[in-house]
Amino acid sequence: MPPLQLSPGAPLASSPAARSPALARSRLDLFLSRLIAGERPSASHALMAPASLWLLCGLVLPLLLILALSLTRRGPYGMVVWEFSLGNYAKILDAVYAPVLGRSLVYAATTTFLCLVLGYGVAYTLSFYAGRRREMLIVMIMLPFWTSCLVAIYSWIILLGREGLINNLLIGLGLIETPIQFLNRPFAVILGLVYFYLPFMVLPLYACLEKIPRALIEAAKDLGATPRSTFTKVTLPLSMPGIAAGCLLTFIPCAGDFLTAEFLGGPRTYLIGNLIQNQFMVAQDWAFGSAVAVVLIAVLLIGFYGYLRLEGSGFEAGRV
Amino acid sequence: MRATRRDFLRIAALAAVGGLPALEACRGRDPNTVNFFNWFNYIGKETLPRFEKEAGIKVNYEVYSSEEEMFSKLKAGVRGYDLFVATDYMIPRLKAMRLLDPVPHDILKNLRRIAPRFRDPSYDPGLLYTIPYLWGTTGIGYNARKLAKPPQSWWSLWDERYKGRVSMLDNLRDGIGVALLLTGSPLDSKDPAQLEKARDLLLKQRGILKQYSSSTFVDDLVSGELWLAQGWSGDVLQAARENTHVDYVIPKEGSFIWVDSLCLIRGAGRRAEVLRLVDYLLSPEVGAEISNSVRYATPNAEAIKRLEPTLRNDPRVYPPPAVEARLQFYAPLDPEADELWNRAWQEVKIL
Repeated sequence: MPPLQLSPGAPLASSPAARSPALARSRLDLFLSRLIAGERPSASHALMAPASLWLLCGLVLPLLLILALSLTRRGPYGMVVWEFSLGNYAKILDAVYAPVLGRSLVYAATTTFLCLVLGYGVAYTLSFYAGRRREMLIVMIMLPFWTSCLVAIYSWIILLGREGLINNLLIGLGLIETPIQFLNRPFAVILGLVYFYLPFMVLPLYACLEKIPRALIEAAKDLGATPRSTFTKVTLPLSMPGIAAGCLLTFIPCAGDFLTAEFLGGPRTYLIGNLIQNQFMVAQDWAFGSAVAVVLIAVLLIGFYGYLRLEGSGFEAGRV
Repeated sequence: MRATRRDFLRIAALAAVGGLPALEACRGRDPNTVNFFNWFNYIGKETLPRFEKEAGIKVNYEVYSSEEEMFSKLKAGVRGYDLFVATDYMIPRLKAMRLLDPVPHDILKNLRRIAPRFRDPSYDPGLLYTIPYLWGTTGIGYNARKLAKPPQSWWSLWDERYKGRVSMLDNLRDGIGVALLLTGSPLDSKDPAQLEKARDLLLKQRGILKQYSSSTFVDDLVSGELWLAQGWSGDVLQAARENTHVDYVIPKEGSFIWVDSLCLIRGAGRRAEVLRLVDYLLSPEVGAEISNSVRYATPNAEAIKRLEPTLRNDPRVYPPPAVEARLQFYAPLDPEADELWNRAWQEVKIL
């Protein structure tokens, strides 16, 4: 790879280099990688270019398209009419849709909290007590994650149905008389979400707990800290970055999930993911569906920004 | 286990939503392959394998689980389907969007087997663009063992005694349609007040509803999980084949009848192979096999003669004139009504 010495601001076509295909390509790579990375030109840009191109085509352009679509109008039979309109955003403010966003955020928050409680225990055990079996246990945590989520959802339906295994077992043991309705309620949706997103929580937590120098914990004990205060004063603060990363990784995909609610949910568990999916696949209102997607992304970005601010100030205290 | 195949199809249909590009790559450009897009669970087990063997043409078969899903894919310009199945009310819309090619009547020699009453439908006079495939009705599937007496009326789907045991089709034509029927409004209403009344009626039902579903209700009827389900005739009768307590009724207030048709997608290649498949599907033996298997009625006059006698004489499949008088086609909706209906249905699902 020849050193890239082209001046960054020069327009593409006017440069003589543009006539040589290979150079023109590296020029384009440079432009793309600068667009994404925004750093000084260097060989690293060339290395980053394929990934940048991928991101540009697979993320940036579709997002721009969604943004553009959200400003259009629904035409007859759901054709997109390319006319500027803010009507879709006005429609979201309609009292009908606000509860859906609220419900989705509540479900995502509940799921994240449950994943954190469950996941912390798992990650802690893995990191401190698992010993030789650690690799195998990690694989076991990942295993459900590798199966198709639709297969997993159907397994849950078989387990939780009114004539399903769990109800039959409980009835067989004489614990209940009439079957409990698990499915098609918020319970089943949250259960499904926790099941799917638990690995997203466990893995960053585990990675973070692994990195805590064991010497610090021993030092705390040497200095007379009880196991409890060792945990609250040393381990927990040091694992804050892992907690934050795990919560983000769980909360964000969870807020847009629609498959779980589609299959395990009922008439009262309609989430924003379902709303978006429904606009594209059923109601044929791509413009409104895009607007809802943009709002969801915006809400999540605002949350993410808040997290970055928080991390910038509060977490530093806990860092080594 | 019977559920397996159905589940697989539903999973396949949903996976298709998520994996459009991947599937698109699978859809062959091979000149000897025909791509057929159909409702899930809507063909005989042996139908296509036998065609492949006889004709030496490979059929790439894909399924959808809702009319809207199919329309979304075609509208989005998903390429590569050659032949697909659409319900009557979709036809004017598909025609208006220029998605269909005319049917070459002279090439399809089995087209004459279509019964006269299906040759001149209001949605496509003279069958210029469609070839009737199967037809059926919308009604109530119920579990006779769980109910004191068989339901007669749509209102039984609003009965508090069946709380948590009721399901409705996840389909705005049947959902809003029945609600308009029960509130005494015209079935092609575009009066916001009437649609609001229909919406409120459906909202009132939500407390006792287990789910909106156009596919899983069949298994739930079989397992006894559901006692009452709004459903399509053939699907319910498939459930009845598995569980003898399941029965089907067309409510006294009236209901819907519909025809699903084979359509040729505009500008698709492989025309000769596609037409060969269509003609094969229209042949009396194959028509009868499909109908026997999926329990929907066939519009093929020759195929009817070859049906299992129990199916041919089943008034739930071929309603007697007195019942048929209560049935009507889904009204085609103009864009304005389409928008209003969609909004009402959306609100039913959300609120």
